[in-house]
This record gives sequence, structure tokens and C-alpha cells, in this order.
Amino acid sequence: MMIIMRPGAPREQIDAVIAAVEGHKLSAHPIFGVEQTIIGAVGDGHYVLKETFEAFPGVLEVQRISKPYKLASRQFHEQDSVFEFNGFTIGGTEVPIIAGPCSVEGRTQILEVAQAVKEAGANALRGGVFKPRTSPYAFQGLGEEGLEYMAEAREKTGLPLVVEVMAVSQIEMMEKYVDIFQLGARNMQNFNLLRALGETRTPVLFKRGMSATIEEMLMASEYILNGGNHKVILCERGIRTFETATRNTTDINAVPVLKKLTHLPVVMDPSHSTGDSAYVQSIARASVAAGADGLIVEVHQDPPRAISDGKQSLTPEAFAKMVKQVKAVAEAVDRKLV
Amino acid sequence: MMIIMKANATPQQTEAVIAKVKAEGLNVHLSQGVEATIIGAIGETHSIPLERFEGMDGVEVVQRITKPYKLASRQFHPEDSLVPLDGFHVGGDEIAVIAGPCSVESRSQILETAQAVKEAGASALRGGVFKPRTSPYSFQGLGEEGLELLAEAREATGLPIVAEIMSQVQVDVMVKYVDVLQVGARNMQNFNLLRAIGETRTAVLLKRGLSASVEELLMSAEYILAGGNNRVMLCERGIRTFETSTRNTTDINAIPVLKSLTHLPVILDPSHSTGYSEFVAAVARAGIAAGADGLIVEVHPDPAKAVSDGRQSLKPEAFAAMVKQVGQIAQVMGRKLAVSSAYQPAKQGWA
Repeated sequence: MMIIMRPGAPREQIDAVIAAVEGHKLSAHPIFGVEQTIIGAVGDGHYVLKETFEAFPGVLEVQRISKPYKLASRQFHEQDSVFEFNGFTIGGTEVPIIAGPCSVEGRTQILEVAQAVKEAGANALRGGVFKPRTSPYAFQGLGEEGLEYMAEAREKTGLPLVVEVMAVSQIEMMEKYVDIFQLGARNMQNFNLLRALGETRTPVLFKRGMSATIEEMLMASEYILNGGNHKVILCERGIRTFETATRNTTDINAVPVLKKLTHLPVVMDPSHSTGDSAYVQSIARASVAAGADGLIVEVHQDPPRAISDGKQSLTPEAFAKMVKQVKAVAEAVDRKLV
Repeated sequence: MMIIMKANATPQQTEAVIAKVKAEGLNVHLSQGVEATIIGAIGETHSIPLERFEGMDGVEVVQRITKPYKLASRQFHPEDSLVPLDGFHVGGDEIAVIAGPCSVESRSQILETAQAVKEAGASALRGGVFKPRTSPYSFQGLGEEGLELLAEAREATGLPIVAEIMSQVQVDVMVKYVDVLQVGARNMQNFNLLRAIGETRTAVLLKRGLSASVEELLMSAEYILAGGNNRVMLCERGIRTFETSTRNTTDINAIPVLKSLTHLPVILDPSHSTGYSEFVAAVARAGIAAGADGLIVEVHPDPAKAVSDGRQSLKPEAFAAMVKQVGQIAQVMGRKLAVSSAYQPAKQGWA
């Protein structure tokens, strides 16, 4: 950390800051310039907040040099983390594809989609039963009934289940059914939920908040890792920008940036990141070309009649075509589909 | 165009709007609901500003249904436009890779870079001689002297030249030297410059403004097309967002979106859209996988000593590795890398 003092800050103020730095078991390296003094705080400072020094008299600015997260960082854990599921791994050479409807709408609907995505090459099944809908009047999901249908779909297809958890109170019940918890974008900084997920040993598909920076995303994932649950899969799902031609803006830069900063697997959700089924295939290909470790895609057997996200859902046929294209791209970057 | 009347609009106000729609040469389609009256204005509406109706009494809101641009739209021109450069076309099966330094710094620098990028598989040479630098104290470019050096590099390598134009006073001198006029992001809505370029018949690489929507980009392209210059290529170069870990945010969505809205070729600039050389290759691959027609990439023989954009410039070796990867993705897409006509394959070859 670099603590920059105001021009002309008196010696007593500088000494007070140095003492505080040393109080945090960091070593202080003051640099006395012509106009300003800079104090370098060196050591394992990831848990020391900038705020600790910002309020000291005479301090102009505090800059962090090392990352504020540790367990998520590649510095701490150089090798890619690879997690194993029934039938596939994520984070290694394999590029798994998670597919399914936005919401579980009924028994036949989910059984039918599960079969279709499996045949098209999906490795896991998604389907929401608790839905974070913008409007309180919109369909809120089938709840535990939906989980039972999902479990039946897994029984029939062998696909592991990825389902969104919205509240701490749902964890215990959901754990009985799901293979991977999805943490939705709107809950990325729901710190109580993050802590509770950290207590479980169920893997988490962790979605980036709509207005969250990459650093904030990694800090939030640190909450789960810090609880002892180290199976966290990060997911870019588009960020909010001024552009209105698409629902969100796919931050494709986030893929190589995250791969550099963290050892955790990175998957892309091209359905939400574009919001339009016409663009999903292109962005799915682009993501795997950029180095993503997997995809999560919305598929519905009859998108115009889907209860939610119909505009961004692929038909099973379009999904099968996408899988084919992604397979070719994966091979071009020395990876493979499962 | 849909003109939605206020709930309490009087019949006279509705009549006045209808009369105005007819006066614009449009057909009227009236639908009177329980709460609101909607007037559909049908015909050639792209040249009619919304403001013409928005200010009228009783009007709640005016919505455009068709696009406000025409010449740039795929509706008007369903086939992909091909922009011919030296020996290849941008916008078809061939993927153009434009490479070179941010700025032309000296004779040896540009000749050396030109040779290196050509050997690595570039199909055109970039190099700025008029530089739009954030600070007025930064290096502003070599001007016409730089153009002469670029011409010499073209002579030596056969690569067509892409250079940025900053002002319409530069048009006459630039068209003598360059094959492609680049309009920089900061000038995307410099409408006088756009009109002046529309008068030329030199190809144009139009970069998206830092905070410009896709629609605004296409409206700017329309300025050039309306002048009769139809050799326009669009370039996504990253937009300004809240994310600070990269210089800009690559709007990769813009590629399939533009390919569906317009017939013009779409190029990606992964150097500016990321700002860091270590992310350029990944985003370049992504651009081609998403359907881009080409790339423009900053390459410098010694990035650490570059007078500008060193942080995002690739070394020639890293660029060669990127070209190889991009070539593999292009193949998957059923496309291939473009080769300029004067290009002599290097001994070691490239993918």
C-alpha cells in the first residue's frame, strides 16, 4: 500500500502514520520527496483496508498495490483450479456447457428440454425455481415442486443440476436437490448469502453483478472461499452500459482478465450478456475463443411461449448448432467439449 | 413512426397531427384505444426528425419504428459490402489484419515495423501521423513527413496504408498518401470531417466513439455514405464503462449486432478495446469468432520505448503468434486471412 501525504504535512503526522502501519505488522518505507512524502506499507496487507489510513491527518490518498483478495488470486494459487462433476470437469481442457430453461415451468417442459439439451451435447442442466424477477407481479418460480421435477430430469438424463439460490433460508432445502448453486447477478453482494454458501460444500456458479467491477466480483467470491467452500465458478453475464441495442454488454475482456487474476474457472452466459437469441451463438464462439472454461445458455422448446427470457432463449435446434460451432472453436484453441 | 397522443388530447390536436403527417407525404394509420390514441405514420420516415411531432400539442411520445439511417442499413443493401484494398477485399471471406505502430516515430521505426508485421502476416499497415492525444503536451505526430515515411514503407512492403485524419484541412494531403482514412473515436461525430470524407473516394475506417451507441455509429457512417463515398468500414474499439481493470470495455456484442444491422465491414481493434498487450490475442480471437471482418492491432518493435500506446502494443513476435491463432479461428469460421497483392510469403510461413 502506498500512503501519499499532503504537501507540507508535518513530521508528527508522518510519524503517526508510520506507527499505524507498523501497528498492522507491516513495515513502513517512507520516501521523502521535495514536496511530498510517500509511505510504502509492505507486507501481507490484503486484509488491511485503505480506510485504515485514509482518515489520518495529513494523508492525501492511499493506493493499494497488492490485490485486496487472496484466496481467489492466482498469486496465492498458481495452478488453474479444476472441479470434477458427474461426467465432466471444469477449469481444465474440457469446456462444459450448461443449458436449460430460464425457469422450470412444469414437469413435461423440464423433462423435454433436459432430454433435448442432453442430445445436443449439454453437460449440465439449468433451470430456475426461485426467480429474481424485476417485477413482483411476474412469475416467481415453482419452488420445491420445481426442484422435484429437476431431480427427475437428472434421474432420466444424468445431467447435474444448476439452480439459483436467492436466500439463506433456501440453502438447506436446495442442497438436497442441486449439484451446483447458482448465485445470481442481483445477489453478488448479498454478503449474508455469500457467507452461508461458504459454509456449504456445494459448488457455486457465481455470477457477476450488473454493475460490479472485476475486483468487486473477486472480493465477493472471496467471501465464499473464506468460508472453506473453494469450489467457485465465476460467470460473466454482461454489464450495464449506455448501449441499448442489447440487454447487457458482454465484457469479453473480463475473460482474459479473470484468467490472469484468478485460478477459478470462468464461464460465459451469452444469453443474458446479449439478451437476444440472434446473438447468442456468436458470443458463445467468441467466449471460448477468448479462453472461457464453459458456457451457460438458456434453451426452451418453445421460446415465444416461455414464461421468462423467451427472447434470449435458443430452440433446441439452434442450441445444437451452437454446440457444433463452439466445438470447432474449442479445438482451434486446443481445448475440447466434454 | 408511432405518435402516441396524451390521454386527454383533444380531437382537434389529433387532427392537427394527422394533417402534419400527411403533409410530410406519409400515410396515416389511426388507432383509437380506450385510453390513448396512436397515430401510425407510414412511409419513408428515416429523414424525418422525431422533433417535428414531439413539440405538437397533445403528443405524449413519438417512437421510431424503422431505423434513422438508410444507406448504412442492411434493409437497404442486403448483401455484404466489400471494400477493395490492394489485392484483397474487406467484408467477404478474407479477414484483414491491419497492424503497425500507434505513431510513426521515425524512418527506421516504421520501415522495421512494416517489414515485421508483413512477415507475420499483416495485410495492411497502420501508423498515426496526426495524433489525437489526451494531453496537449504529448507527442502530436510527424505530420506530412510521417506520411512520406508511410509511403516509403508501402513501397518496401506492398502493404496498403491506414492513417488517421483529424481535420478536414488534412484531407487533400492525406488522400495523396493513404489507402484508408481512419476516423478516430474522438472524431466520430465531427460532422464537418465526416462530410469532407464523404466527398472523397478513399476508403474509410470509422471508429466508434468512446461513448457512442451502435446506432450513433451507423448515423455517422451515413454522413460519409450520403456524400457518395461507399467504402466505409466500421471499427469497434471499446467503450467507456465503469470497469477499470482494462482501458476500455470491448463491446463484443457490437459485432453480431452490426453485422445484422448493416452491410458494411466490421473491424475490431483489440489494442484499444483492452489497453493491455497481454489481453490483445484473446480478444482478437474472440472478435473473429464473433464474426468480425478484420482486426487493427498496434505493433511496435520496442513497446517499452514507444512514444505512445506502448502498454497496449504487441512485439512483432507476439503479433505473429496472434496472427497464427486468428488464422485458426478464421478457418473454423470458413474464412481466411487476407494477403495484399504485393505480399511475398516469408520463408517460415504462417498459419
